[in-house]
This record gives sequence, structure tokens and C-alpha cells, in this order.
Amino acid sequence: MERRQFIKVLGLSSLFLHGWLRNLFAAQGPVVAVAQGTDHAGITRKALLALGGMQRFVKPGQTVVVKPNIGWDRAPEYAATTNPVVVRALVEECLKAGAKRVKVFDRTCNDPRRCYASSGIEAALKGMKNVEVKHLEEERFKNVALNGKVLKEWELYGEALSADVYINVPIAKHHGLSRLTLGMKNVMGIMGGNRGSIHKNIDQALADINASFRPHLTVIDATRILTAHGPQGGNLADVKVLNQVIASTDIVAADAYATTLFGLKPADIAVTRSAYQRGLGEMNLDRMRIVRV
Amino acid sequence: MKKVTSARIAQLLFLALFLVLFLMTEYRGSDRIVAAVNGFFRANPLTAASTMLATRQYQPLLLPGLLVLLCALFLGRFFCGWICPLGTILDLITGRIRKVGALRALTGRAKYWLLLPLLTASLLGVNLAGLLDPIALLLRALTFFFHPLVGDTVRGGWRSLYGVVGDRRDLLDPGYRLIRDYLLPFRETLYPLAFLSALLFVLILFLERYERRAWCRRLCPLGTLLGLLSRLGPLRRTPAKLCADCRACREHCPTSFDQELLQTEECILCMECALHCPSRRVDFGWRARQPQTGPVLERRVFLGGLLGGVALARGFRFREPTAQAKLLRPPGVRDEDEFLKKCVRCGECMKVCLRSALYPAFFQAGAEGLYTPLLVPRLGYCEYNCTLCGQVCPTGAIPDLPREEKQRQVIGKAVFDKNHCLPFAKRIDCIVCEEHCPIPGKAIRSERVELTGFDGARRTVQQPYVVDELCNGCGICENVCPLEGKAAIEVFRVKDRTPLKSPSGGTPPPGHPYADPYQGGRS
Repeated sequence: MERRQFIKVLGLSSLFLHGWLRNLFAAQGPVVAVAQGTDHAGITRKALLALGGMQRFVKPGQTVVVKPNIGWDRAPEYAATTNPVVVRALVEECLKAGAKRVKVFDRTCNDPRRCYASSGIEAALKGMKNVEVKHLEEERFKNVALNGKVLKEWELYGEALSADVYINVPIAKHHGLSRLTLGMKNVMGIMGGNRGSIHKNIDQALADINASFRPHLTVIDATRILTAHGPQGGNLADVKVLNQVIASTDIVAADAYATTLFGLKPADIAVTRSAYQRGLGEMNLDRMRIVRV
Repeated sequence: MKKVTSARIAQLLFLALFLVLFLMTEYRGSDRIVAAVNGFFRANPLTAASTMLATRQYQPLLLPGLLVLLCALFLGRFFCGWICPLGTILDLITGRIRKVGALRALTGRAKYWLLLPLLTASLLGVNLAGLLDPIALLLRALTFFFHPLVGDTVRGGWRSLYGVVGDRRDLLDPGYRLIRDYLLPFRETLYPLAFLSALLFVLILFLERYERRAWCRRLCPLGTLLGLLSRLGPLRRTPAKLCADCRACREHCPTSFDQELLQTEECILCMECALHCPSRRVDFGWRARQPQTGPVLERRVFLGGLLGGVALARGFRFREPTAQAKLLRPPGVRDEDEFLKKCVRCGECMKVCLRSALYPAFFQAGAEGLYTPLLVPRLGYCEYNCTLCGQVCPTGAIPDLPREEKQRQVIGKAVFDKNHCLPFAKRIDCIVCEEHCPIPGKAIRSERVELTGFDGARRTVQQPYVVDELCNGCGICENVCPLEGKAAIEVFRVKDRTPLKSPSGGTPPPGHPYADPYQGGRS
């Protein structure tokens, strides 16, 4: 077939097979699983299943880090920290898939003891075998060369770097500077040093980190979302109950979808935009496969 | 087996209790602290006396102290020989220290020259007794020096172990966790006055060189106060003098038998003489008729003590005005004078402070404010949901408030320094302060301003501002400001510390001068 002819056929077929072609292309994009329901553990499992189940990510004998947002001294109802039920369901799935050890931690903004307690995450995982819920230890941070646009190097947490599988479990919420904090910002929880100083260029800095450190799976907790006065909230009037859990291997796609829950477009979020432009993932909703379960 | 008096057993038990309570004076996962070392201060008669004199009011929290004072009438200085943890420590080490004989400077009326000015100063509204209170001295040495030192050493070792064996250190983790969770301070805090606190404590130990229980006998204001009362009381030892045929009491008595006659105001009821008396003559009992031992207080000492107190209370009031701007008190302290009347400088609030935000004052609050707690936001901020300092304060100088009420207490007000603050000075984004502000409605907000950056590019920058009506001065903004050294936002003391009006949740009332910058961006 000659080139001219091929283009003609392609052009014509696009007229007739318009929808089919689009689906074909979309099928090649990342899968974003969106599960809805009031059983938050159940929908977490459903979302995982839509991606192929935890055994797709966790092989027997592996060490897994589950990194929720435990940043603030707030009860789960205030939607400032990841829902402990979602965290527990993920940890259970990891163990079921044969994980040797599951570590759960975050670098908190408020006092770590209070954050771990108030978030309900420490209590939710208490007594589980082979599960560690520990405060960060300074000596475990390791200098990592990022060679990014704004960050040349940064200290990242050793246990996150050495884990076989890293599961990123942010909560979807409002943020004063980046408008929303989702998957990519949650990675800040493994950053050492003066994190505040990256705020002057937060979208590029987060793209730098996320380009170098890539979670295997991102599960966004949108069971409750914080719509204003984030990232800490503190007022139930700012909390919206959505009963959703979003899971994807593409962190940008997961963030992009979660953005729509706030009535915003993915491109409204500079962090998402920068990451997309750097090729870290997909932000166009029509180029990802959104699987609702 | 060596014979042991019940006094010695009580001493060891109380010392153990003191140390356990000391370790319990820390956040352990619950909003309320079950038991803290404040019990020792509430039962401390000197604390009770000086605080009630200073406030000229009955303080229900200090009732146990009053009771101990009352008991001293009938039981003498039992507190010193049975309870006081500092006395116990002295008893435990004194055997290892060779004695060189009493220090002449201390043998006179020195202790009254200490106690009287302290009490008189209290009466004039400056409660300084805590500076020389034996339990406070001990607690401060532990809190500011020894405990952080232990923590630093153990944690330092644990850290360097990681450098040697790496992640294999995890094998030892359960053991280390036990030590860390129950014995070490949560973080290594360096305190100002650590050296002075340790020095005073060591000085007291050093005095043992001169005679047994030298501090207790010759200086301790708490012991002196109890001694004064015990002289009035009916408790007497028989025989009151050394027996001519034995004189063994001289050897056994730790405090009062270097004269022929037992010094009632120095007897700490350790019962060693009764235990060791070869002919079992010694007996302690209540007797109506008292042997005369001369005047306790000569008029000279009494008047001198009063004058000394006036000098203490009025002579050290100078305060460096610039230091006052940053003189932040713990949450709930609304009036400086009231605070100085009640604060016994025990250091418990500083020990318990969740974020290590409280530090002992050196001269920031004038000489009269030595060792009182200051909030230093650059080092630590007041955690929004924490109420621990009020819970452990033995005298209520820091009120014990429910969480919601404490959140509304004003420590100071935050003020921006636009010459340093990045969005103003450098025209770039930052907003870390706003992010951390714990007030649900945000006391720090920002407005989007379009401007030309110094690189010539047009851009939108979020410039922060403080909503005074919502700011409680917790200091987290100053703490987290990413600038080096001096923060671009600082909390300053304010005179009017009326608690914030509305419960801090919710949006500002209509007609509020500050529009909520987020309302447009919401879904």
C-alpha cells in the first residue's frame, strides 16, 4: 500500500469507526480504577482487583512500604489524613500476597506521636504480624542524586528506597499553594531536610522527585475529601464524603482523575501539568482507561 | 544482715516513685496524663506556703502541701527523712564522701537568711521559693541536664550503630524501642541553663564533703520551714541529750547531734538512733513540756530576712524592653504578674512540652523570672491539640484547660516581616506558614497578587497575611518558616490575651474584613 493510499484509508475509516478507534487508543493508556461504596475496605479491594489484584505488585517474600498521609494531628473524619480503613485493607492485601514485611510511615508535620495516634492508623494496624508502624529515624535518610530541574539532590528515606514495592496512599485534599495535594505531593513524606524550601517552585520540585522516585502503585483515598482550608482542615464543613477509592500504576493519571472530584480540570493543577510535561504519566482523561467498579 | 529503718524503706520507695513519675511526665499516646511528678510539688509545703503567700489566696491544688505542713507540727521534719528524693540521693552517696568538718559560713543562721527573704518576697508577689526548693532543684537538674544527656548518649550510640551495621540493626529494634519508649526523652532537647541546673545539684552533693546532709541541715528552705514548725510541735525525742555513758547517737545521727542537745529543727526522724541504741533508750513521742533550746530567730535575723525579701522582690524587677517583645508564656497564661506569683519554676511544663517549645528563662523575664517557662517558637511550637503543660503544672500557674478552650488561648500574635518573607521580598511562592496554621478557618491566609518578578516575568504570587482575630500565637508558622535563622513571621507578646471569641472553626462572620481567598476556588 502506498503512503497516500494508507492515509486515505485511515482518514475514511476514522469517519466510520470514530468511536472504535478512540477506544483502541484509550485502551493503551493507563488504567485508573475507581471504586465506589460505603464499605471503604471493600472498595479498596475492588479497586485493587480492577488493576489485577495485589499479587500483581507484591510477590511472596517482598518488603512493602505503604505510605499514607499521616501528616497532621487530626482525626480521620477531618479528611486531613488517609482513612485508616483504606490503609489497613491495603496492608492486609499485601500480607495476603505474601509480603514478608509491610512498613507504614510518614514524615509528619505535627508531632509524630500525636499524628500516628489521632489519624487512627497506628491503632488500625496494631497487633498485625509483620507490620511495622514506626516513626522516621533521621539516620535512615540517604542523599539521592535527582539531577532535576530545580532539585539536584535530596535526602530520601532509606526504607522507602530499599523497599521492593512502594505503595503511595494519599488522601485527596485541598492545599493552599498547590491547590490540591494528591499522589505526587504525598511523596514529600519520604523527603528529609527543609521541605518548606521547595515550596517556592513546588510543581517543578515535585516533578523532580517523582521522576526519580516512582511508586509502584498509587491508591488515592477519596472516601472523604477536604475541599478547603487544606492541607490541615479542622472543620467538618470543609469535608465532603465521596466514598471513592482511586487506584492506578500511573501516579499522574490517578492525580488527574482525582482532580475532577473537586470540580477542577487536571491542567488546573501545576504539579500535575509539570509531571505530564515531563512524561511522568498521563493527565488527559480521555487518554486513560477509567474502570469504575 | 544490715538493719534497715522503715524510714529508709520509705525513702527508697519515694525515690523510685519520683523517678517513675518523672518518666511518666511525657506524652504517651493519651491526651491526658495519668500521673505526673507534679504530685511531689502539690505535696510540697514550701510550694504551698510560698504560692499561697504570693497569691494571698487558698489554692485547692496545693492542699496536700498544706497538710504536710500541718503534719510537720506533729511529726517534725519527717518529709526530709522519709520522702524527699533529694535527701535520699544524699543519703545514698554520702557514705562515699570523706568528711572534712562543717563549713563555718553555714553553721550560723544562714538557712533563715535564705528562707525568710524567699517567703517575704512571696508576700510581695514574687514567688522565688522554687529556685531553691530541693525537689525543684532535683527535677530541673534531671530535666535540663541528666535526662537529655542520657537520651543523647543512647540515641547517638543507636545512630552510629546504623552507620556500622546498616539495616541489620533492625534485629535489635524491639529492645531499643523499650528503652526509647520508657526511659529516654522523646527528642534530644538542648536547654539553656542546663549547666547551671546541673551545677546547683552537684554543688549540693559537694556540700556532703563538709558534713552529712549539709544542704538539708544548713540551707534547704523547705527543711528550714518544716524545722520551724517542728519546734513548735510536741514531738520530742527522749533522751533529749546525748547519754553520758554512750554518746553513740553522735555517730548515727545524720543531722543534729554534733551538740549535746538534739536540735529538733534539724532532726529528720530517720530513726537511726532508735534502731542502733544499744540500751533501747531512745523513744520519740508527743510531750507537752519542751526543753528550751534558745530563740530560733533573733530579732536581727527576722528583720534582716524581711528586708532581704523586700530587696529580692523589688530589686530585680528590671526587664530589658526588647526582650519583652518575644516573652511568650505557655497557653492560658494571661497575666504576667499573676503568673510570677504562681510559677514555682519546677520545670515540669518544659519537660512535658510535646514539641519542646518551652525553655527556662535566663534574664529575658528579668532576674525575677529566672527559670520560668518561655515559648521559643523557632525551636518548637505549641501543638494545637495538646494540653499537657496545664495538666502537669502543680500550682495552676498554667491553667489546666479542656482542649477546645486551650486552643482559644492567646499566647501572642504572629506578624510578618515583609523584608524577609519570600513572596514579598523575593516575589516567589512559599506559603508554608499558611499550610501549617492549625486554626480551622486559617489565621494565616494569602491573596493572589499579580506582579512582575525580579527576573522580569509576570507571575501570580500568593502573599500571606495574618487574621489577628483568629491567631492564637501558637508559633507553628514561625517554627516552620523555611528561611534560615530568623523567621519571616514571628509571634510577639500581646498585653491583651483575651481568648479568641468564636470557637475557631467555621468561616468568618459576614462583614468580616478579610474575604476567604478560597471561596472562589471551591467546587
